[in-house]
Amino acid sequence: MTAYVLQRLALMLVTLFAIITLTFFLMHAVPGGPFVSDKMMAPEIQAAINAKYHLDDPIWVQYLNYLRGIATFDLGPSFKYAGMSVNEIIAQGLPTTLKVGVLALICVVSLGVPLGIVAALNRNRWPDTLVMVIATIGVAVPSYVIATVALYFFALRLGWVPTFGLDDWRGYFLPVFALSGFWISFIARLARSSLLETLQMDYMTTAKAKGLKPGQILFKHGLRNSLIPVVTVLGPVVANLITGSFVIEQIFALPGIGRHFVLSITNRDYTAIMGITIFYAAVLMVMIFIVDMLYLVLDPRIKYREAR
Amino acid sequence: MSDIHVAPEMWKPAARIAGAAEQIAAPSLTYWQDVRQRLWRNRPAMLGLGFIIVLVIAAIFGPMVSRHNYYDQDLKLSNIPPVFQVYEVTDESGATTRFFFNSGNLNLYEVTDDGRIAGLIRGKKDLLKKQTVFAFGDVEVTLNAATQTLTRGGGVVLAAGGWQWNMSNLFGTDQLGRDVLARQLYGARISLTVALVATLVNFFIGVFYGGIAGYLGGRVDTLMMRVVEVISTIPLTLYVILIMVVFNSGFFSVIIAIGSVYWVDMARIVRGQILTLKQQDYVAAARTMGASTGRILTRHLLPNSIGPILVALTMLIPSAIFIESFMSFIGLGVTPPEASWGTLTSEAVETLRAYPYQMFFPAAAISLTMFAFNFLGDGLRDALDPRLRT
Repeated sequence: MTAYVLQRLALMLVTLFAIITLTFFLMHAVPGGPFVSDKMMAPEIQAAINAKYHLDDPIWVQYLNYLRGIATFDLGPSFKYAGMSVNEIIAQGLPTTLKVGVLALICVVSLGVPLGIVAALNRNRWPDTLVMVIATIGVAVPSYVIATVALYFFALRLGWVPTFGLDDWRGYFLPVFALSGFWISFIARLARSSLLETLQMDYMTTAKAKGLKPGQILFKHGLRNSLIPVVTVLGPVVANLITGSFVIEQIFALPGIGRHFVLSITNRDYTAIMGITIFYAAVLMVMIFIVDMLYLVLDPRIKYREAR
Repeated sequence: MSDIHVAPEMWKPAARIAGAAEQIAAPSLTYWQDVRQRLWRNRPAMLGLGFIIVLVIAAIFGPMVSRHNYYDQDLKLSNIPPVFQVYEVTDESGATTRFFFNSGNLNLYEVTDDGRIAGLIRGKKDLLKKQTVFAFGDVEVTLNAATQTLTRGGGVVLAAGGWQWNMSNLFGTDQLGRDVLARQLYGARISLTVALVATLVNFFIGVFYGGIAGYLGGRVDTLMMRVVEVISTIPLTLYVILIMVVFNSGFFSVIIAIGSVYWVDMARIVRGQILTLKQQDYVAAARTMGASTGRILTRHLLPNSIGPILVALTMLIPSAIFIESFMSFIGLGVTPPEASWGTLTSEAVETLRAYPYQMFFPAAAISLTMFAFNFLGDGLRDALDPRLRT
């Protein structure tokens, strides 16, 4: 077990290293330096700025410096916001993104799974049909469409919730709903089909034959086995919530990391783009790692030595 | 036990006709005939397929036959709705003017009898009273901006006539006066190009990458799959963004980005298929007969895993379309004046307060396309599943 966990951790570091290298060289492949597009600058000022940001060093020195920075959790200064570091940008946006993201994740699990169970237990009856219709809509309609339509009806027409910001607790409804809508539907569909498959297994019949209570059969034998596929997609769910936040934060004008990220792209703030990408990748990898560990705990049939 | 009444004659043995027992009732179907039949019977899947075909035809030929193009601006005719209520005013000489009132920008537009827009009607603005006066011959019509009502000279409120579909711009115009239908069709071209690129990349890179990794196995497999793992750790959207930053945003970058990393899911699926299939006897037989690795892969293994490949493809295409529209929505995709469904939606969001209906067409286009591919994918998966075979 420990050996496997260590191996996974080492793999994670290698992947992160590959991503850092890729991002770094991609960003440095951009024609022209980060300050070229600025208004005409005297060559001395240009040289001074380059010296300040160590842009006059050979690229491999810059690369090593960057790696050293990351090792000490320092993502360097922002090129566009004078005096602000990428760490500060992330720290500024993180609380907002985290609040909305975690709420969305809670919604995904606490709504998606029960909906799927209800649908599976009532197969081909109206609760099933209802859940499947909603889930099909949720999977097919893009989040930004859901977000704007919801914004129009609930905020502009009905005035139940504010149109932007999170100052009011009601402001959370629409962003969380728009962000989690796709995955609630996806998880509901997945949980339904997985539970339906489990219900047909021989051990379910055995459990019934042993005279176990229906609740016991469902929770102990049915759910535990059928939720394994649901747990596996939780990693991608987090990835999707992160990228989904770009558009949700833009529509609802939330000052989160996603918005900063999109802004730094339009501003061509290379260090910020690099830093936030690496931050995202790190968060994702930690999440995928946690999910993998969870997977081992949940499914004793998987031997961790052979897991990969 | 409930009482089931069985008539005594039902207990008699059925008459046996010699020879009939051997007769085969239904023609035997090959696997693909069966798949085709079951797919054909699946109504949502067929509707989805029909929609996709119509969309492809519209995207290819639509812009050729359209009277408008996607970039011509006409600021005088901006924000025209697709449907409007027509008012009629007859002056003393008997000439009738048909026009409609655009409540979003407080303009009157003259309408011809067949529903085309003849042009903007100029009026005299009175900023103090917040009203505009329009003259039709000797008849004066006053538009009150606050109450949004039209009154004729003597204070008679002008009643709206019937609804008229806008025949000049079937889907209306956007805030720069560009024809929305033409822009939608152009957006459809963009989306379908993305779909095509995604398909090609998945077929030519994903399938072969996964196939080679799965078939060769061992170290090669480990190495190739490690690369896939590294690529798939970062969400595709982030790659697209990074590539956009390097190549500047634009449609070309979206294509490059999707083309360079969009095959990893397919590679995984194909590898899994090949891993199970390569243990089959026919592979051993082919190898014994001296078939080369390439031949075994392309002639035996890949054709046998075409089912899961097709199902994966119908799921990957809509998500590629979605990624493009998503990127365009946040302003990182196609550059103006090019139109994609994502940019059309985000432009509609800007004017959501004044012209909420502008949201309808782009949102409907992308949603319906997603539905169509999802239904087709679900239907294909059911049709290809041998367990569901009847």
